[in-house]
Amino acid sequence: MNDRPHEGSLGGRGALTAILLIAFSISLVGIGWDDGLLNTGGVRAVGQILAAAVQPQISLDILSIGARSTWTTLAYAWAGMTVALVIGIPLGIIGSGTLVRSPWARRWNISSARFALAVFRAIHELVWAWLFVAALGLSPMAGVLALGLPYGGILGRIYAELLQDVPEAPLRALRGAGASEWRVFWFGRLPMALPDMLSYTFYRLECGIRSAAILSFVGLGGLGHNIQISLQDIDYTRMWTFVYFLIALVVVVDLWSSLVRRRVAIEQG
Amino acid sequence: MVTRYSRGEPVARGGATAPSAPARRVGFLAASAAIAFCMAVAAWATIVGDDHFPRQDLFSFGALARAADFAGALIGSETSATPAFYQAGEWAEKARMAAETLAMSVAAAGLAALGALATFMFGARNVMLGSLAPYQSPLWTAPFFLVRALFTVSRAVPELVWAMILVFIFTQGTLPGVIALAIHNGGILGKLGSEIVEGLDTRPMRALRSTGAGRLQVLLYGVLPEALPKFVTYLFYRWEVIIRTTIVVGFVAAGGLGMEFRLAMSHFKFTEVTLILFWYLLLVLFVDIVSAQLRKLAA
Repeated sequence: MNDRPHEGSLGGRGALTAILLIAFSISLVGIGWDDGLLNTGGVRAVGQILAAAVQPQISLDILSIGARSTWTTLAYAWAGMTVALVIGIPLGIIGSGTLVRSPWARRWNISSARFALAVFRAIHELVWAWLFVAALGLSPMAGVLALGLPYGGILGRIYAELLQDVPEAPLRALRGAGASEWRVFWFGRLPMALPDMLSYTFYRLECGIRSAAILSFVGLGGLGHNIQISLQDIDYTRMWTFVYFLIALVVVVDLWSSLVRRRVAIEQG
Repeated sequence: MVTRYSRGEPVARGGATAPSAPARRVGFLAASAAIAFCMAVAAWATIVGDDHFPRQDLFSFGALARAADFAGALIGSETSATPAFYQAGEWAEKARMAAETLAMSVAAAGLAALGALATFMFGARNVMLGSLAPYQSPLWTAPFFLVRALFTVSRAVPELVWAMILVFIFTQGTLPGVIALAIHNGGILGKLGSEIVEGLDTRPMRALRSTGAGRLQVLLYGVLPEALPKFVTYLFYRWEVIIRTTIVVGFVAAGGLGMEFRLAMSHFKFTEVTLILFWYLLLVLFVDIVSAQLRKLAA
């Protein structure tokens, strides 16, 4: 990515374009069109939904429900992120393979931790939620764990990569001064990788809000739950109120997270 | 990244040159960390304070037994019926669903990419308002805010919620799921695309301009070729996310493995759940590998 496109890569790009276009065409044939496109009344529904968008319900009742479920969603997201950190930090550190010196131990550390992380993040949080509700019953813990596992998997993988990617020269200097691998990690590697780790964590927090909102689909509370109920009542105006709450929440957290990331980037220079 | 552009030349970064700036910046980060910590405490207080929180039961034998029961049901020890994963017909049926899920994910990624490609230029600040803007008129600046608002709304609403809304419009099946995925990911890809353009090195474009290229020509032959390879890389990363999410929109939109998962769970056919999860993991692994290979071609 660091140099200009040159002659050599044009063949690869042409092949790639062809592959993408062919795959896309095949996929369009593959999704079922035979049942017809629109519901009976589908066109009317578009009109109703769009009309409702400009007149969301703003009664005091609805607003207070909206505010409370906004906090519920936020609480799930935050609690889930703490679980994700508890999973992601140790597994990320082990998965970076930087704590041990012998090549064999390093390879074993990397592959075992990365395998666990890959399994955690392979399964979508809502699928985890459904499995946890089936296994543990309908409790807030099911939602928090469901969010924490895949997010821990993603955080751990990124942490591992960031810890591996720090410049080696300062670390060699520390080793030369007689520092143990632990000290090299603690005083060299971690401080260098920390700003990027922090940035990425805040980015995931923003994604976590959206994920927490849909966890309610399996029966846990929050904004998604209220959106779902409004749709079951075919009450589009009430639905939009909650959708606007969700958009506002995401935008605020997004703004905060991008401010933090920008400050971190400036700190790094 | 925060460089403001006047017409033509980049000017000084806002705030970064003020002498008292470092102290204030650390203050902001420290305050953010403090807020984040307090939020975590408050969040856990809410979770633990919930009426449904299993205060005594969480780590008790009861909960463990229930979890063990569920794990047993997944591998078929709970019923006398033949587990789904010992039936060739079930394998074939779920394989067909997996193929449908894969097709949904590709179609969704493709539609999202088309939507993003058509709009991302209009969402880039430097192209629409800054140094690369071909024209300076409200007709050129209004689309910027419109497109940015579209990106924000489409990506703030999760795929599943879009799918819930869209089943009122489209017939149940794969289509509403695909469109729901495309709307959400189109917003994300559009925003990423705009940010790529905003982060581009503008010197080659200015060089192009100085050789007599028109402003639109600069966009077509200078900006677009620089931005596209990165955009395609992001597209593949999103595809990895989309394949994981396709099963989820299937819960409400009735398509692919998602619908199968929902039916199997609600009819307590847990050995089928195991089979579905197997195909799901296989799909995720397949897409991760293919995407990594294709990304190399794009770079």
